[in-house]
Amino acid sequence: MPRVFITGLGYICSIGNDQGTVVRNLRNLKHGMALFPPVNVPDSPVKVVAPVRGFEVDSLDQEDWTYPARYKIRRQTIRSFSPHVLYAYCSLVQAIENAQLEEVDISNKETGIYTASGGSIRFIYHHLRRMEKRGVMRCNPLNIISSIAGTLSFNLVSHFKIQGASTGFASACASSGHAMGFAYDEIQRGRQQRMFVVGAEDCNFESVVPFCGMRALSLSRDPFRASRPFDRTRDGFVSSGGAVTVVLESEEEVERRGVPVYGEMVGWGQASDGHNVAISHPEGRGLESAMLRALEDAGIQPDRIEYINAHAPSTPIGDRSEVKAIRRVFDPGEIRPMISSTKALTGHGLSLSSVLEAALCLSALRHGFVPGSAHIRQLMSEAEGLNIIRQTVNATPTYILSNSSGFGGANTSLVFRHV
Amino acid sequence: MNSGIEIDTVAVNPLSSEERADLEESLKRCSEETRNAVFEFRETGRVSLLPGIVIGLIERFLEPEVRPKLRSSDDSIRLVDDLRIDSLTMMEIVVLVEEALDISIDNQELRDLRTLDDVSCFIDAKTKGLPLPQRGRLFGIEAIGAAVPHRPPFLFLNEARVENDTAVGAYTITGEEDFLGGHFPGNPIMPASIMLEALGQLAVFHLVTTQKNGMGSVVDSSKVLFTSVEAVRCQRICLPGETLTLRVKLKHIRHPLAMFEGKITVNGESAAWAEEICLTFDWVGVAGAR
Repeated sequence: MPRVFITGLGYICSIGNDQGTVVRNLRNLKHGMALFPPVNVPDSPVKVVAPVRGFEVDSLDQEDWTYPARYKIRRQTIRSFSPHVLYAYCSLVQAIENAQLEEVDISNKETGIYTASGGSIRFIYHHLRRMEKRGVMRCNPLNIISSIAGTLSFNLVSHFKIQGASTGFASACASSGHAMGFAYDEIQRGRQQRMFVVGAEDCNFESVVPFCGMRALSLSRDPFRASRPFDRTRDGFVSSGGAVTVVLESEEEVERRGVPVYGEMVGWGQASDGHNVAISHPEGRGLESAMLRALEDAGIQPDRIEYINAHAPSTPIGDRSEVKAIRRVFDPGEIRPMISSTKALTGHGLSLSSVLEAALCLSALRHGFVPGSAHIRQLMSEAEGLNIIRQTVNATPTYILSNSSGFGGANTSLVFRHV
Repeated sequence: MNSGIEIDTVAVNPLSSEERADLEESLKRCSEETRNAVFEFRETGRVSLLPGIVIGLIERFLEPEVRPKLRSSDDSIRLVDDLRIDSLTMMEIVVLVEEALDISIDNQELRDLRTLDDVSCFIDAKTKGLPLPQRGRLFGIEAIGAAVPHRPPFLFLNEARVENDTAVGAYTITGEEDFLGGHFPGNPIMPASIMLEALGQLAVFHLVTTQKNGMGSVVDSSKVLFTSVEAVRCQRICLPGETLTLRVKLKHIRHPLAMFEGKITVNGESAAWAEEICLTFDWVGVAGAR
């Protein structure tokens, strides 16, 4: 079966809008949190967000937006974007350059794109308000395609003239894990030679504040402490947005093009909790199965994994479930892979998180380090005995596992190999 | 062109301050001249402002490089082919025009708006509350094929519309035309002779869809033949991907001869012109003239 390699990455996220900046912040454990003006309203208990910087996308009129000057986007293209589509566009442009792809490599029947986003709640909300105010026939004609969950695919497929496979994934915070997994399958099965995987989310009042009602967000007012996965006092996740693109290619294409690779994707697994609409299984049963299936798919024993990039969003229940699942798969007495949650730095990018974390693992692999799990003052008792690294370690793990869990108990686990 | 009925002003509903603010927001990317004209229209209802407003509202949605074409004052400019307005942009324009002029436009009405001239006539009638101009039905390629004897690969009309003594048609050069392989190898250029042929076909279409003799007989499409063409000028080469806008006008007709003048534009630029295209024809049920 064809082997699958990662040849390109593109980042627009809270810790940087280019790979160089992201790697520097990741290595030095510099977080991307800030007191976020849009949520600084009296009835919002949430104050800290991990925002995207360098983009001014508050206006509902895309022609008002400002974004880094290196990206040039025509009106006829940007008119159907919501904010996260703009981030995604920029990350895809970066990834294409990073993978040294020419136009002919992008637009052909052997190249596809899988996307993950929850759509733009902000745009849906404001479009419907306009409809209420001005009447049904005065809706913005582009309101649906710019805002619903498929908007990433609609825009990117048409603009980049993608001719291969395309679809979107909607499993909340596991979405881009599913996108990575199924993109890997497409290449392994010989259906595609190359896949772009793009995860993206808005980061604005409407994307953050609705999570308040379910008490899922950290209420900390301290940007330096708000996101603290595995800490005993963790009190919820810090919301983020942005976009990441990963380029997956078959061995044949990598050889033909003669480009360097970040690493190899060697397997993945998914399983569901079958438990609760929003809360993870208390024992992490679904995630445990996902990890076991990923290892089986990769054809390796648990003891080969040297680093686990945990989903651990810094929620009391989520981190505990994952720790329990990891304990069962990796007997702590015998096998001690390094574990960290990069959400301490990046915040939680929802649909974006899985592909973001996969990319962070691959960037770190190329630069020979494993990022530490920041902001832990006192380790949660359930994690005693696990090798949760608090500082960045200079190392090049051979096998890496990256976990994600979403609402409804969807879990994915991806395995990468250093080559 | 307008509806022909002299109306200087129409009734307008005064804008509330909230509506005014909304409209200002919607028009913020239009030229100042256009914005002022819209607000003046909404106060005075002066219809002479409309053509400028409509051009201004369309202009706001165009990519900078095609904007000058809009001002080229050629009414035959085609919205889709020449101004690169896709159907989504058309919808954006419609929503803005509706809001600016306080009118409603339904889907059926939109279907026939192909050129700037179509748009100005339509808006003129719409704001005056007059019946919409009957622009003649737009025929697609199947309907054209049913009327004229020509068939692909030698039919050079994709659509046509007849109005009184004039017919307007369009043909998009696909680049797949066989003869382009030899005209010229590696450098495909639409032959001038084929462009004249396209004008001739449009003239045939006009003849067979409009003419009847005193006995009620129509033109027999199998008996129309090209006889001559006088004073031809070709002003521009036409390339694959471009759309020819063809226009013929009946100058005079007396059985068995019909004389047309013809003109082709591309992107609003003159491409070819023929002063006299002469066809012979005969009526259904009459023995052939030659």
